[in-house]
Amino acid sequence: MSEERPIAVDITQNENAGRHNSTQHYEVLMELGDCLTSVGKYDQAKQHYDKAAMLDPDAAGPYIGLGVVNLQKESFDDAEIAFRVACRLDTNCARAYAGLAMIEQRRAHYNEAFKMYLKCLELENDNLTALLGLFQTSCQMGSFDKIIHYLQTYLETHLGDTSVMFALSALYMKDGRLVESQKILRDVLTLQPEHKDAANLLEEVEHGLSAQAKSGVAGPSTMLRTGK
Amino acid sequence: MRVDSSPMMHEGKSEDGPLVSILVPTFNRPLYLAQALASTARQSYRNLQIIVVNDGGSDVTGVVESFNDPRITFINRGLNRGKAYSLNEAIVRVQGKYVAYLDDDDILYSNHIETLVNTLENNADYGVAYSDLYKVYCRPAPDGQRVVLSKVVDVSRDFDRFLMLFFNHVLHVSCLHRIDLFNKTGLYNEKLNVLIDWDMTRRLAFFTDFYHVHQVTGEFYHPAGECDRISVQRRKDKEEYARNVVTIRTTRPAKPWPKIADLSIIFTVERLDQQAATTMGLIWRHTFYPYKLYLPLSHEDISRFTTDMPNVVILPVDSTLTQLQRIDKALADCEGEYVAVVSAGFPIRDMWLEDSLYALINTPNKNEAFELEGSTGDLWAAVARKEHLQIARNRHPNLPVREGLLSEGISVRRLKSDEIPFQFDSALKEAQKNEGIGNWKQAFKIYEHIEQRYHNQLWMRSSAANALFKAGEFDKSAEIISWVNRQRQTVDTLLLEAKLKRRSRNFDGALSLLKKAKDILAGQTQSDTNTQSNEKLYVKSV
Repeated sequence: MSEERPIAVDITQNENAGRHNSTQHYEVLMELGDCLTSVGKYDQAKQHYDKAAMLDPDAAGPYIGLGVVNLQKESFDDAEIAFRVACRLDTNCARAYAGLAMIEQRRAHYNEAFKMYLKCLELENDNLTALLGLFQTSCQMGSFDKIIHYLQTYLETHLGDTSVMFALSALYMKDGRLVESQKILRDVLTLQPEHKDAANLLEEVEHGLSAQAKSGVAGPSTMLRTGK
Repeated sequence: MRVDSSPMMHEGKSEDGPLVSILVPTFNRPLYLAQALASTARQSYRNLQIIVVNDGGSDVTGVVESFNDPRITFINRGLNRGKAYSLNEAIVRVQGKYVAYLDDDDILYSNHIETLVNTLENNADYGVAYSDLYKVYCRPAPDGQRVVLSKVVDVSRDFDRFLMLFFNHVLHVSCLHRIDLFNKTGLYNEKLNVLIDWDMTRRLAFFTDFYHVHQVTGEFYHPAGECDRISVQRRKDKEEYARNVVTIRTTRPAKPWPKIADLSIIFTVERLDQQAATTMGLIWRHTFYPYKLYLPLSHEDISRFTTDMPNVVILPVDSTLTQLQRIDKALADCEGEYVAVVSAGFPIRDMWLEDSLYALINTPNKNEAFELEGSTGDLWAAVARKEHLQIARNRHPNLPVREGLLSEGISVRRLKSDEIPFQFDSALKEAQKNEGIGNWKQAFKIYEHIEQRYHNQLWMRSSAANALFKAGEFDKSAEIISWVNRQRQTVDTLLLEAKLKRRSRNFDGALSLLKKAKDILAGQTQSDTNTQSNEKLYVKSV
């Protein structure tokens, strides 16, 4: 019967208070900024991120928001400044590295973009933006090894993420691993039967497989009809 | 504005509804006082008497005069005598039917008085109504204004009388009550220097029920980091704080108590020695339920006995009397509806008596008494209804207390685990512990259980929705928080629903909720937006 009892005797000493670590106003402003960014109201979003930065000058979040806004507006220099501030405030800020990577990608600096996406994935191995960015950059650079590894790792903990599954199946196909590609595409269509791109790609993969079977030849060069 | 006024205390009423007196003690916060008074000025309920008491702090005459409000009575005292003294000074000047409170750094929303007056006018059985307030976390800006970081309804707890005796779960500043209750409770205790509010709220609980209005009708401020509130600073002296707590717990307002049954503790000793003194001291420190301690002592012991312990009734008895005879002697004098019998050396801890007393009060079987936890064959203690104990002792004077009760058909047992008080708090603590370790699903289940069993619906559902959100169960979380927001919107609940809407890509819905949250944080509640400009003028004049 001797269990713990409330020790404080007054509501104003309530321990619940500790749960609200004074970030609520900041959170509201950040959410507003993010929503406004999503609906394309970039100037309004910027105002909210600026206010959030004033409330918590040490937080990287508002600078990520400002970076995204500037990226959307194609103000790459301003976006880069914002993401670099975010990196300085939080050296482990994966989103900031993803932002910098996207800028480099948009500038067609694929090597730099690739490094930044990798840096992001080191910090946050399930960052979807980085995974998909890395996929695109890999396609742009024609190098798939690392991205395949990251996508496989990601899917180990995010079973059924069809967007990543689709990306991985495309990479397998480009890499000539048609059977693995076919398996994943079938899984995608089981999970999402209306996925037209997956259906189309599966058709191509199976076409390639039957061609291989007929000719007895297997290799990457036989399957590049969708090679983008 | 009137400066001072003749002391008077009677019920007032006007065509606009009953007069409400708002008591505003102030000390050295002229800037915040301006904001506090501005919030009284914008009350939708107009029939007000606002009594401002400067407790010897910096001169606030200019602040008060800037309102040019004939409803304000201003007591400008040069000497600092404390909050309790200031409130008492105001109370004797009260003319209203109802009393409300406002600390000089708090804010009332414009519907505060109207909401609570309507509640009491429509619920004659209640003497006190209270609402919820935002706890505002803030930090000072260079210009002295407060930068709002969070506005949180920290607790939205329904009134629980037994709990009130132990823990203040009702913000005094959110209360409005009938003036005539002061005739029963007495005035504020000027010997206290902390927890003054709880002392009065606790005493009110002896005489009336409290009506909980689940609306947020004001704000109290809590600076982030080091809090400058006088009450918070004073709590740092732990000994002094403990003295105040014991003083409050041992305060017994004048009877009759329509809402609380009295308790008598009969303390028996062979001889008054160090062990007896220690046990008495522990009883004093660990008992929060209102009681009187009955001490049947020999003349020799009485001559050696001095105590500053309150509520002790010394009963002279012949030194040859047995323990049972001493109990009988005390029992004849006991006022309480419930009687506990305990002897020197009994282990006393927090809840030592209240656990069993609570079970006794609430048991559906009225023919039961409870053996206290820690009882052994040699050191036995129990609590029973006085009438049962009297009958048992009268009819079986030679039997031990326990056997006497049993002979009268009163079962004597230990309480079961589901009979202890404050299970709500234990469950809540468990839920918060699970939150702390990221076990959100378990936390949700506990919140759900608490709601089903102990109510406090809005509070528990908000917590449950948050736990579900953290657990990644977004659909269920959205369903619950949407229900909560249909009942009452707070910054936290609006923010959570907005996050869920954003997740489901309903950006317009999210934006609409977030704008409401932002308005509340900016001090623009729906009922207050029209009068913000006035407040800025008053503040500017300071």
